[in-house]
Amino acid sequence: MLTALKVIPQLLCWAVLVPVMCRSLTGMSTAVAAAAGFVAGVAGENLLLAYVGGELPFRPLRGICGVIFLLLWGASVWALYRSGSTSPESGQPTPSPLASGAAALGTGVLAGALTLCRLAPLEGGAVRLVPYLTLACAGAAVALGAAYAARFLPQRLVPRGIPLVALVVSALMLMACSVQRLDLFSPLSMEVMKFVHDFVHQFFESMLIPDHPFFRADVWGYIGLLFGDKVGLWGGLALWYLPVLLIALSLRLERLPSVAHIRQGAARRKLLASFIHERRLRLAAPLLALVFLTGAAYQSRFPATEYWDPKPVEVSANPAGQIAIPKKGEIDLEDGKLHKFSYRQGSREARFFVMLTPAGQLVTTLDACAICQPEGYGQAGNAVICYYCRTLIPLETVGKPGGCNPVPVPCSVKGDAVVIDGMTLVNTWESTVQVTAHGKGMGK
Amino acid sequence: MAAIIETSGLTRSYGDICALKPLDLCVPEGEWLTVMGHSGSGKSTLLNLLGGLDRPSGGSIHVRGTDLATLSEDGLARFRRDCVGIIFQQHHLIPYLTALENVMMSQYFHSVPDEAEARHALERVGLGHRLKNRPGELSGGEQQRVCIARAIINSPRLLLGDEPTGNLDHKSTTMVMELLRELRDEERFSIVMVTHNQEVAAWGDRTIHMDDGCLVREERTKSC
Repeated sequence: MLTALKVIPQLLCWAVLVPVMCRSLTGMSTAVAAAAGFVAGVAGENLLLAYVGGELPFRPLRGICGVIFLLLWGASVWALYRSGSTSPESGQPTPSPLASGAAALGTGVLAGALTLCRLAPLEGGAVRLVPYLTLACAGAAVALGAAYAARFLPQRLVPRGIPLVALVVSALMLMACSVQRLDLFSPLSMEVMKFVHDFVHQFFESMLIPDHPFFRADVWGYIGLLFGDKVGLWGGLALWYLPVLLIALSLRLERLPSVAHIRQGAARRKLLASFIHERRLRLAAPLLALVFLTGAAYQSRFPATEYWDPKPVEVSANPAGQIAIPKKGEIDLEDGKLHKFSYRQGSREARFFVMLTPAGQLVTTLDACAICQPEGYGQAGNAVICYYCRTLIPLETVGKPGGCNPVPVPCSVKGDAVVIDGMTLVNTWESTVQVTAHGKGMGK
Repeated sequence: MAAIIETSGLTRSYGDICALKPLDLCVPEGEWLTVMGHSGSGKSTLLNLLGGLDRPSGGSIHVRGTDLATLSEDGLARFRRDCVGIIFQQHHLIPYLTALENVMMSQYFHSVPDEAEARHALERVGLGHRLKNRPGELSGGEQQRVCIARAIINSPRLLLGDEPTGNLDHKSTTMVMELLRELRDEERFSIVMVTHNQEVAAWGDRTIHMDDGCLVREERTKSC
């Protein structure tokens, strides 16, 4: 039952997409192609999960989602460029049945694969047979049922051309962002933040920003805003929404047809009013796309996944400065879960976790990475997630340095205990946090 | 000539009071019909029914082939917007809008406002110099001419007047009537006008007399 609830947003998106595509493209054949595509997508992705495993089944999907989002950007710029030279009466050419079928099939495959990923077990492997078959049947049934519902969709609300693309892409983004490993919004926000930081840093390095005490208070006050933790979010949201907003703007700027040939003023105005009304109605698709994108951003920011995130247990060092944590004490360090600890040395404090990797090695790492602010990690199945940038780190790579991986701390296993040098731990924490926490109140 | 208005057994009752008894009426396209009668004789009730402002209790009422009795509220609103222009005795101009804006308001509810066209309509009724004046700054005759401009701006096929000259002096009345005749001759719309005034009724092509909700007499009038 809970499994079924997980895919409700995806199936709802699918139930919206199919009737719109049916009315915009070529009717029932579109629905059949979409249903077939959905089933194929579900089956194909489950085969990949079963026989390939790991991150590989997710990468192509994530790549395709990235590409279609970029295509949406291109289409939005093109729509804006064309907005001055098109008018509502020129209309959109109706695509050929072959093109419509191919588009519906492609959308179905992608939607099916994305929906199945929502059910993919966190520990890896294929989706079990019953949910897998149920999902395939539900997707096909929704597509065929929605084709019937499409008859009741007012023709004037049916999007064509680029607004239709915006609606389809935004719905697929919502489907993707519900799956942690396919989420695009968090990496986008992260990239924006990195870009802003690098950009300002480069300015500073080039001495374009004067490093004079007189300027420091004022100029750095403003520059400090660029280092805030919300820069990535707002920049990401701007990039996320902008293509659809550009499409809405292009519709709004569409040139009205000439009515100069109509002699009677009232008839002329009536015709103009009907064009303006239709143009306004066509904004419904971008508005719905904005709703989908908002849902996607929300899913990305507040994922429904519950992480294993134990409260750090305070540990102390022996007179030699060594921290010894028993492997099988109150906490079983070898149960495959991450176990958090905190260590205080005078006024200095460090947070770290210990876990057993799939390779059977006990590793100790900081509860922080070398890039992000130290908001820590949680565990979701066979990966840990950085709470700050939402990057998933496979358990196989925990204990290795680089990127957003938790910073490793040297440790040794002596008898039944894991032993860490307290001084090394605190020094590693401080050197890491000094770099990543810009300003007061950062981190936990 | 085709009929713009055709009623058959048209009635309107308010509770026990029968304001309009079964009425059969036919108004050809382009005709100017005046309706006369005492207060309470059913003139305004008839006009409200013809303008889609009220619904009949019985019978049928066809305007340009559309049965108003069967229209929904939205349909009636569309009918009033597209087919009818109404001139009231009390003008019903919006006091805080200028003459031009009052006319443009009518365009706005019909389709889209067009200032040049509204200005032209006011110039046609001789108010080109009063565009920016509010109703309070206009005389009664001028206000009624703004009403005429507002009523004709959307090119209706039927113009309804409920005592349009009821509170105007003789000179203004003549001016308004001349204007209506001139516009009717140019635009070829039909007029149904309610009046108490025999002189005003004489401007129409035909006059019907009503009493106690019944059509009691009908006469052809001679043009002034």
